[in-house]
Parts: sequence; C-alpha cells; structure tokens
Amino acid sequence: MSLHERHRNIIDFALSSLGRRWKKNLALTVVYAFVVFTLASVVFFTEAVKSEARAVLRGAPEIVVQRLMAGRHDLIPESHIDVLRKITGTRQVQGRLWGYYFEPSTGANYTVVASGEPPLEPGTIAIGQGVARTLNAGEGDLIPLKGSKGDYASFEVVRVFSHESELVSSDLIEMHADDLRAFFGVPEDYFTDITLKVRNEKELVVVADKIRRLLPDTRPILRDEILRTYDSLFDWRSGLLLVIFAGAVAAFVIFAWDKATSLSMEERREMGVLKAVGWETSEVIAMKSWEGIIISLAAFFGGTVLAYVHVFFSSAFIFEPVLKGWAVLYPRFQLVPQIDPYQVLALFFLTVVPYTVATVIPTWSAATVDPDSIMRL
Amino acid sequence: MVELKNITKVFNRNRPDEFTALEDVSLLVEERKVTVFKGPSGSGKTTLLSIVGAMAKPTSGRVLVGAREITSLPERFLTEVRRRTFGFIFQQFHLIRGISALENVMLPAYTTGEKHAALRERALRLLELFGLSAKARARVEWLSGGEAQRVTIARALVNDPKVIIADEPTAHLDTKLSKDFLGIMERLNAEAKTILIASHDPLVYESTMVDHIIEMRDGRIRGSGPAE
Amino acid sequence: MPTRKSTIFFVLAGLGAGALAVMVAHAHYRHQKAQAAWNESAALVKRLDLTDLCLFTDARYARHPSMADRHTPFQDSPMAMEHFPSGTLISPPPHLRPQ
Repeated sequence: MSLHERHRNIIDFALSSLGRRWKKNLALTVVYAFVVFTLASVVFFTEAVKSEARAVLRGAPEIVVQRLMAGRHDLIPESHIDVLRKITGTRQVQGRLWGYYFEPSTGANYTVVASGEPPLEPGTIAIGQGVARTLNAGEGDLIPLKGSKGDYASFEVVRVFSHESELVSSDLIEMHADDLRAFFGVPEDYFTDITLKVRNEKELVVVADKIRRLLPDTRPILRDEILRTYDSLFDWRSGLLLVIFAGAVAAFVIFAWDKATSLSMEERREMGVLKAVGWETSEVIAMKSWEGIIISLAAFFGGTVLAYVHVFFSSAFIFEPVLKGWAVLYPRFQLVPQIDPYQVLALFFLTVVPYTVATVIPTWSAATVDPDSIMRL
Repeated sequence: MVELKNITKVFNRNRPDEFTALEDVSLLVEERKVTVFKGPSGSGKTTLLSIVGAMAKPTSGRVLVGAREITSLPERFLTEVRRRTFGFIFQQFHLIRGISALENVMLPAYTTGEKHAALRERALRLLELFGLSAKARARVEWLSGGEAQRVTIARALVNDPKVIIADEPTAHLDTKLSKDFLGIMERLNAEAKTILIASHDPLVYESTMVDHIIEMRDGRIRGSGPAE
Repeated sequence: MPTRKSTIFFVLAGLGAGALAVMVAHAHYRHQKAQAAWNESAALVKRLDLTDLCLFTDARYARHPSMADRHTPFQDSPMAMEHFPSGTLISPPPHLRPQ
C-alpha cells in the first residue's frame, strides 16, 4: 500500500471530477489566473522600478537644499552657497539650475537641466529619447525653443541620450548653464536649488539639521529620502489598492459563484457514495483539496508567467495607458526583471492556499457524513 | 462470518423524532450462503444491512466480523474492514455521474494504494465478465438500468470482498433483468461469496438459490429459517 | 494503456515549475546584462545632478516627486482628476508625509 500511488489515484479521480464541469472549471481557472496576472504584474513592475531606481539613483546628490518662499519652491540666492560651505562636514557645494519647458506645438513637458562637467558648448543641447521622439529631432538638427521673453532661440542637438538611460533621461534637455539662464531669465546670482556632498555619510542628518538652523527658509532633502520615494513609489493608498481591489472583487465573484454552485446535493451525494464504497473522511477531503490545488496551481503558474511576459517582454502594455495619464511624452523603457523568490513564494501562498482552503472548508461537514447515509436516501 | 449480538439502533436519540430502527437483534450470517432479509419497508432491513456491513455503528450490542469485534473500532480501521470484507449494491445504484463506467468500478480501490495498471486490468475484466466491455468508457448516465446495475455489481466486486450486500436490488428492474441479477448472484455464490439481500420482492425470496430467509417487522426478527 | 490524467497533471505542473525556473534564470541573466546600462545611467545622474526617474511627465510633482514642494501636490484627494492617474499612483515623498 503506497501513499504515492494512493494520492495519484485520488488525483486521477479529482481530475475526472473536474472534467465533468470542465467549462465552468476552465472559466474559473482563467478568471483566477487573470487575478494572479494582475497582482503579479503590479509586483513585478514595482519591484523592477524600485531596483532600477536604487541602481541608478545611487549617483544622486547626497543633499539637495531647496528654498521655500511663502510655502513655494523658489530660486535660491548664491549667497546661501557660502553659508553651506562653512558648515563642517560639507564637501562640494554646488548651485543647480533646472526647470520645466512646455512645448506648445507638441503639448509635451520637458525638463531642462544645466550642463554638468564637462559642459556642452553654448548654443548646443543634448536631448533624451522622449524629446527626440516628440520633436522628431536627431543629432545635428536645430531646435527652436521659445524663451521667457517670447523670442525663439535655436539650439543644435549634439547628442541624444541612449535608449538604455531613458528611465532617467527621456524628457531631458541639457544645455549650457549660461544658455539656461538667458533662456528662462534666471538672475545671475540665483540657482534653482543647491546640491551638496558630505565628508562622512553618517553625518548627513547632523548636517541637514545645521542647514535648517542656519538657513530657516530652506529645506534639505537627503538622498536617502529620494531613494525612499522610489521604494514607496506605488504603495500609495489608491494606486496599488485600486489594482488589488479590482483583483479582490474578481476573486470574490469567483468564490461566490463557485461556492454557491459547487456543493450541490449532487456533490454531497457523491461524497456519501465515496464514503460508502470505502473511502475515509480524510481521503474525501484529500480529493477535494486536490481539486482546489489543481485549479489554483494552474492559475498561479499561468498568471505568473503571463505577468512576467507582460511586464518584461511587452513593456507592461496593459499598464501603459494607466501610467501615461495626461503625459504626451511617455518614456519607453524596457524594465530589467527583478525577481525576488520571496515574492514568488508569497504569490504562491496567496493564491494556492486560500483557494484550496476555501474549497475544502465547505466540504468538511459533507465529508464526515456517515457512510450509511446514502442507503437511507 | 458476521455475528450480531443484541443489536439496537436508535436514530435521533433524545430528540422528539427519536426512532428505534432495530431492537435487540441477534443473528449469525453464515459463510458462503445466500441470506435474504424479507419484510415491508420500514421494518429495519436497510439499517440491519448497514450494521452488518460495518457502515453504521449500533447504538448498543456487538458486531463481530470473523472473530474480530468491530463495534469499538475507530473510523480508519472500520473503513479498512469494510473495504476488505464487504461489497455493496445499492437500491439507487449510486454511481458517480459524469465519469466513465470503468472509473466507477475502480473507485473503491483507489484509496487502497494499489498499482493503477493492475487495478485497471482487474476492473476491465470485471466489466467484461458482465458483458460491459464496450461500455467501459461510456459515462454511466448513458447506460440502461440493467447496465448500470451490472456496473454497480462490478464496483462491489473490485476489492474482491467475501460478502456481497444488496439492498432492494430488484426495485428498479423488470422481471427479466431481476432474473439476470439473481443469476449473477448465484454465480457469485458458487464462487464462494457470501450474499446478503434485503428485499420484499417475491422473485428474490422465492428464488431457489436462497439458503436462508429472515423475516423482519418493526425492527425485530419475526422469523428465521431455511428457504423452502 | 492510455496516459493517466494524473500523469498529465504532473507533467503540466512540472512545466509550470520549469517556466518559473526559466523566469528566475532569465531575470538573473538580464540583471547581469543591465549593469553596463545602469552604470551609464548612474553616470548621467551624477553628471547632471539628477534626483528622479522620468516616469510621469504630466505634472511637476509627478516628474520630480522627491523635489515636490509641500503645497502643490498630494493635498488633493487621491481621486483628484487634475493629474489622474499619475497623481494617484505615486506617493508623496517621505519627507512630506506626516510622521
């Protein structure tokens, strides 16, 4: 008497049993797989964005100092730089110039940044893939941009940022700092904000504290906070919940439908027959468990693999309209897969276990009927 | 073979609808004999069969299968004894709809852990024995009444039990099919099976193959003796 | 002797598990391959002092969430339509949230 053979026999019967209502069970599996697919897609997508953010933004400035005037982000005077330089522990304090540019003909928003080291030649720009796409421009093209005084200035595109860097560079227009000042009309002795580095990363918080005290009109933002922004990127109350809620609703509908229809008198009678012909209570429950495992396992594998293909091979095309929103310029990035085995495991337990348990529980009382009950039917 | 000592069975005990199905029944089922329980419906025949067949436990009294007392066995062992010793043929057949005749026959043996190929082979042979080879893959609801009953008999035999228990087996059969059924029982009896039948059909209890008739009424044995 | 249903089940379950394994292996491989591109992006981030990913370009708090100021974004209800859906998808940066 082998346990293995016994369970194989029980699986055989469970499959035959499922096969009798194969249309219903197939529909059930497909809907359930869709729920898993949605959840897994969200998990894969956010995990990939997070890991990419961590990898890419490790080069971000350690502290950004913003000036707030009347509660709004405002230009910061150059004199603040000298104050910051005097704080012990700081190293390399720099003014940063950047802004937004709305291109009326395309309706797209671009981010304009001042050149870093080595700077671009005045009159030239480097643009991201998204900018190149919306303006239909390439290297060597002259692009007219409308300045703050209403006049057009033409810039020559000398570089298009690579496709691989699109997740950080898609909407960028890099130009010489002097060009940027002239273009936006930023006064000589002002910057957008100030970035600084510290000698010892452990002192970041102390330095930030000193900045707040010395320059009460400013707000320091630590790199750690920037990274945390991306760690919590989509865990906003409605973002993820919206998706999970949709999934939960679908799941609920499945269960309601399934439970309402599954344990019919017919099924109760069948369990009685199994008991009468010599099955034990535990074997009847094992059979029902296998029915649940078969359906949920199929949904788990199907949903997870499809989600992987969806997010990493089709660039999450189903999410695209959601992520795009109003944006005219939509970065086209191919996310790098980041699979955390724990997530897959969690997904497994979240799909297979509850479904199987939900299948078994209503059968419990039916499975414990006395074997002679059907003789009295 | 099976011995009942002072069996009483009460349903819905201590409730307003309390009902005594069997009262102080003692009985010895002899091996390799055909015994018929005769009596009107409600006389306790079915309850008696389910207690003999280790399907239900008596409220009081003792049941011995072979020399083994089974009254106090836990479910697992009781199931084991039932599976090895008894094969059941129900009045309503109780086949599992939607699956094939072959799988229905194999069903009682699934949980014994027997090798699938051997089991399948045996089930096919049983179906062949009853002239059902062509119907092995057919869903049971497509079978005629007589075919369905023969599938039920094959299912009862698949674990090669010593005792066949049939509850009102001819209730849904016409005369010809009833005679066919009795023919099969006679054959099985010749192959050393003990046969217990509950029936109030004269065709059954007047049959020549019956060795012993037990008459029941109101949960008691009213008379017992060899068939004329 | 026809194939048993349980055999088909085991084969399919095995294929499913295999597909998962391939997925993990593929993710690992792509991860390795991405290092160069990530280094390039990180260098760009460093050179231009960038602070944010370009995910949404429709609002400035969505384009640069970590640079957002306290008074424009995130005080509207998440169902606010001004920049739905990006405004509802991303969360306010930690330094703007009440502790």
